[in-house]
Amino acid sequence: MTTNLQKLGLLAGVIIFALLPLGLKSYGVYLCTLFCVYLMATFGLNLTVGYAGQMSLGQAAFLGIGAYIAAIGMKAGLPFMVMMPLAAIACFAVGLALGFPALRVQHHYLAFATLGFNILVYLVMRNEEKVTGGTFGISGIPRPSLFGYSLEPSLPFFWFTLFFTLLVIGMLWWLLRSPWGRAFAALRDNPIRAESLGVNITAYTLLAFAIGAACAGVAGAFFAALVQFIEPAPFHFSWSLMMLLGVIVGGSGRFLGPVLGTVVIVLLPEWLRFMQNWYLAAFGFAVVVLMIWLPGGLLSIPEKFARKGAVK
Amino acid sequence: MMPFLEVKDMRKQYGAIKAVDGVSMKVGPGEIVGVIGPNGSGKTTLFNSILGQIQPTSGNVEFCGENITGMSPLELSRRGVGRTFQTLQVFVKLSVRDNLIAAAQEFKGTLGSRLFAKNDAGLGGHADEMIELFRLKHVAKLPAGSLSYGQQKLIDIAMAFMPAPRLVLLDEPCAGVNPSLVDQLRELLVELNKTQGGSFVVIEHNMDFIMKLCPHVICMVEGKVMAEGPPAEVQANRQVLEAYLGN
Repeated sequence: MTTNLQKLGLLAGVIIFALLPLGLKSYGVYLCTLFCVYLMATFGLNLTVGYAGQMSLGQAAFLGIGAYIAAIGMKAGLPFMVMMPLAAIACFAVGLALGFPALRVQHHYLAFATLGFNILVYLVMRNEEKVTGGTFGISGIPRPSLFGYSLEPSLPFFWFTLFFTLLVIGMLWWLLRSPWGRAFAALRDNPIRAESLGVNITAYTLLAFAIGAACAGVAGAFFAALVQFIEPAPFHFSWSLMMLLGVIVGGSGRFLGPVLGTVVIVLLPEWLRFMQNWYLAAFGFAVVVLMIWLPGGLLSIPEKFARKGAVK
Repeated sequence: MMPFLEVKDMRKQYGAIKAVDGVSMKVGPGEIVGVIGPNGSGKTTLFNSILGQIQPTSGNVEFCGENITGMSPLELSRRGVGRTFQTLQVFVKLSVRDNLIAAAQEFKGTLGSRLFAKNDAGLGGHADEMIELFRLKHVAKLPAGSLSYGQQKLIDIAMAFMPAPRLVLLDEPCAGVNPSLVDQLRELLVELNKTQGGSFVVIEHNMDFIMKLCPHVICMVEGKVMAEGPPAEVQANRQVLEAYLGN
């Protein structure tokens, strides 16, 4: 009963969100689309961090790799529907390569290894001008078209992005419902026991990294098509920290945690803009309060109240 | 008859300390062997050396005639060698049922095929049987980490038997378990020995438990085998009594 109600609630939420931009100005539609883009990346990061227990501070690098690959390809005349899977495959491959340090180091050491990777990618984007345009970036990135129908206007592009966001989320749901999901959780909870029970921790660690990275690669392709101009700044490691914050604030290892987390990192700063110069300070304060009050993330609120009720 | 597991002259040294000092032992098919000894006598180090958790300084381990010395826990699990640890080792956020399924799913199909397999990897029925056997039905859907120590210990042991291993090494299965559960645990192990037919090696400090469960007992003191044989014989051995009780 509750599950059916939850499913209906979820469906209603998706429909309301899909119709929301109809009543918004272009900046509002842009923010909704940007929210979808970051949602793909944070869902991928939640798989790596929340389900497989591997700390990563390099998600913005994968977002950037996906964005640059898509931008360069589309500027060369290749269609978006070719470049998006290419971006995902490239990020999957780089994620596999980055996963190797994860086999040797854990926790904060791994966080620093991925942080170093993000800085390295950022430097390549900034300094390899011939390929990436350096600090001038790449402009004039076209929006895709679908069966001859242009997705240049912001509304159709939003729905197009929303459709693929739901597709990525659906694929991750299916993956986590398969025995792989259980193996990821076993790896996160107790790698020594998992290995003694036949879990190939090498393979699953690499896969967790690579699939999480591929999600960011897809997000990057949409990011490039959304903003139509890319330069290194949005792929700075500070954005990796923001995405990790999104995963943790929403509820690390909870499937829908990234939805609330991405609201906090993408939409909350916009809603706080009325505070003008104080909005970043207010955002920081809100995050500190959230982390102290809800270390399990926003999705742990019902459990927190249930526990309080049980104590009474 | 060729022994199922044979440990030959196993040594593990940490600097000047000889944690395991030339231990040899044999375990036959379907046999239950107990390993006893005072704290610090090298029992767990012997287990960890056999099971690839640490590299032995020297010595050999053969399993079904194959040299398995230094093999990783993953390689050993694929050969049908299971274990439990001295401390609790369950997947705390997974439900009891998922813990049991996780313990055996990696032996079903390939990595690729498991992605497209049913959620329970076809192991739901077997997991439910084990839950029934270990009397965990009332907590089957709860996260393992939310249960009592004794219940988690039962899950821990049930997990080791889920893939029906050919050899299981149990490290202090009674540690921290309520005395009322100890007899139940012994009965469970006897039952699993009959139904699954595997060989067990059990480290334990609970003498009553080990004397009733194991037809063959090895006593280790200061890294060496001090006595071995039927439980009553080992129990009556003067050197063993001295090691436990002093002169």
